[in-house]
Amino acid sequence: MADVRDIMELDQPVTPELTRESIIGSDKLKKRTFSTTKTQRRPEGMHREVFALLYSDTKDAPPLFPSDTRMRRPRKWEWMPFTNPARTDSAVFYHWRRPSDGPKEYPFAKFNKKIDIPTYTDAIYQQHLQTEGWTKEETDHLMDLARRFDLRFIIMADKYDTEKYNKRSIEDLKERYYKVSGILAKSSGERKVYHYDADHERRRKEQLKRLYDRTPEQIEEEQFLINELKKIEARKKERERKTQDLQKLISQADSQADHLRKADKKIPKKKLANPTRPSRVDTSHILQAVETAGIKFPDYKNSGVSLRSQRMKLPANVGQKKSKGIEQLLQEMEMELNPIPTEEVCQHFNELRSDMVLHMELKAALTSCEFELQSLRHQYEALSPGKTLTIPPQLLSSTTENDGMKLSGNPEIIDVVGSPGTPSGAGT
Amino acid sequence: MSASGMLYGGDEIGALVFDPGHHSLRVGYAQEDTPKAEIPAIVGIAPNDTPKIEPETKEGNTITQSPWKYYIDTTYLHTPRPNMELHSYMKDGMIENWDFFEKVVDYSYEKIIQSASEYHPVLFSESPWNQRQKREKLTELMFEKYKVPAFYLVKNAALAAFANGRSTALVIDSGATHTTAVPVLDGYVISNAVVKSPLGGDYLILRSREMLEGLGIDLTPTALVSSKEILRDKEKPKYTKKNLSFLPTNSWMVYMVKKTVQDFQQSVLQVSESPYDERLAASVPTVNYEFPTGYHQDFGYERFKLAEGLFDHAMLGAGYIAATSAGMCDVDVRPALYSSVVLTGGNSLVQGFSERLGKDLSSRTPGSMRLKMIAANGTVERRFGAWVGGSILASIGTFQQMWISMQEYQESGKAQIDRKCP
Repeated sequence: MADVRDIMELDQPVTPELTRESIIGSDKLKKRTFSTTKTQRRPEGMHREVFALLYSDTKDAPPLFPSDTRMRRPRKWEWMPFTNPARTDSAVFYHWRRPSDGPKEYPFAKFNKKIDIPTYTDAIYQQHLQTEGWTKEETDHLMDLARRFDLRFIIMADKYDTEKYNKRSIEDLKERYYKVSGILAKSSGERKVYHYDADHERRRKEQLKRLYDRTPEQIEEEQFLINELKKIEARKKERERKTQDLQKLISQADSQADHLRKADKKIPKKKLANPTRPSRVDTSHILQAVETAGIKFPDYKNSGVSLRSQRMKLPANVGQKKSKGIEQLLQEMEMELNPIPTEEVCQHFNELRSDMVLHMELKAALTSCEFELQSLRHQYEALSPGKTLTIPPQLLSSTTENDGMKLSGNPEIIDVVGSPGTPSGAGT
Repeated sequence: MSASGMLYGGDEIGALVFDPGHHSLRVGYAQEDTPKAEIPAIVGIAPNDTPKIEPETKEGNTITQSPWKYYIDTTYLHTPRPNMELHSYMKDGMIENWDFFEKVVDYSYEKIIQSASEYHPVLFSESPWNQRQKREKLTELMFEKYKVPAFYLVKNAALAAFANGRSTALVIDSGATHTTAVPVLDGYVISNAVVKSPLGGDYLILRSREMLEGLGIDLTPTALVSSKEILRDKEKPKYTKKNLSFLPTNSWMVYMVKKTVQDFQQSVLQVSESPYDERLAASVPTVNYEFPTGYHQDFGYERFKLAEGLFDHAMLGAGYIAATSAGMCDVDVRPALYSSVVLTGGNSLVQGFSERLGKDLSSRTPGSMRLKMIAANGTVERRFGAWVGGSILASIGTFQQMWISMQEYQESGKAQIDRKCP
């Protein structure tokens, strides 16, 4: 309030006006009557916040309002007797309660939950439940314990009467109990019968025990082995990565070869003035590329399950051009693009396609060789006019025309792969 | 109860909780957070020299004045009296001398509770290995002599677990005469896996006393010192003894010296964090302790050497018994036990006890287990763990169906205790 007044520069009058209200004093105004001792003024230069700390706030009346809560009479509590329906007897205890709440059932009785433990008569026992190693008395004892400890088998085994009966393991008790309750459930026509596999449980616990009983040395050794395994896996991954890199390199080499082939077409024309150095190196490049051509289908060594059709998928490094070519060839041969991937089909189909690619590569190599040959011939004729270079017919492809390639040339067969030296030898 | 009648699940029926131990008997009302009284488990008995002739006779019987006078509770016990012999009514964690015990229970009702026993159901704690015959005897005593409306008996380890908010726990209870490791599963003690070691507070007192006597320190108890002078460190004590017209009995002297040494033990001893190492212990600051005679000196490595006795034993060390106890339980419950190891008992308040136990235990815990120690910070909560648990249990609404009522006792007798209170 004081701050607000300060900001608004509303100084209260030093002496409040004498009005009727101020003398008679209505409730509202009483609160707003200020003591007249507002002598302290904020010194020049002092921050308002700092002054506010000094400022005694007695001018504002304490915010007292008459509350509308009247002193109601508290409700009575009484030390009253009660009986608990969860008890088997009618023992009376006392507790504090409001009589106004009225008598009602003990609220905690509803938490008294009991597990339904199957019961049997002598006759039923004789008929169905007899088994080797268990007398009726002992079975009774087991069922009694189950009832008392709500099927907490660990406690039941702990409280088992070892004076009268042999000590039995938790699994023994469970096995017997579930067998008995299973038989009884079946005989009463229930469908859902629980089966307890005691042997499995015993084995599981034995394993768990062994796991917990490991000595620090054993744990250390295991950790060591795990680390070794990790290292091996890391190495394996590294190796895989390297093979992938290699494949990438190969595909790069492929495209490089393509590139070189394109370059071949241009270079001779440009270098017409300087023809003494024909591109001999280029051809060997081409040949190398051809040798590695074909499709390398990756081996599926990965663990886990995979579809066999995955094996027929073209590897990523096969370019669109090649796959188009394969498609075209397959269509020409009237074959399905995606045959049913049986083991054999898979293998043959992959081989076929690999061969197709090889075939295409070879064809491309051949055409480029022929092209080179022709260009060399032209160079020769240009350098020594009047002379004509007769190319031996065996160097010229005979199939090119049939294949409908653009480069119509001399119909001779050359074995590119078999004798790589031949075209270059011819060139020089 | 609130309007719904279920707020916080509590319903108080004015029950009493008794927690007998070797050091003391804790008595109080259920739903309170501390016992009303802690009465030493020692009864002083002296011949009744001044027989008063009671003017009235009861039920026409000629009452022969008891030839014995009994002294109970600290203020009575700590005063030297001629021919007053002190006796403990406990033995091996169980009530042994029922006459003395009755006197203490009488005293509790008369001076502490100050209300008639027939109005209050009674919850008693017991050691996990309590014998059937003793349990029946206690049941009989409470119903027949004290006419309690209802009675219940719970293992103190289970109560200590409840006090720490657990129903499944491995309870390490280090008391006056024993340190025990007790697995509790869903509020039931697995009695076949209880491991007990006789190393407790009394053992520390004994060792301390041997050490102090070896140093030639006068252990005269405060009760016999009338004045003393301020001395310099290790100066020979100058004090005057109280002028008694009689010689205090031997048992009283033993008890008082024990109390003196106990104070020394509680204020000086500390458990080192790792197995005792002479050089390491010597580097820790010393603690000055003044005996009732005024003699004082600094204690350094002794503090650790004495307390080490609780842990360095190969078979009885606290860490060992805890691990053994857990190892005796079914493998399926072990993780649950290790993940709530409850520490209770007055002796666990020796400085550094919980840290060392945690360390010892973690070195014995299988690596895959999560180990969690639960130790109440407050002195009261730790010393009276079982009582607090009893106080909680007896004031829970759902517990009120568990009591053995007087009616049930009259119908089925004391033998039902074994069935009703497992």
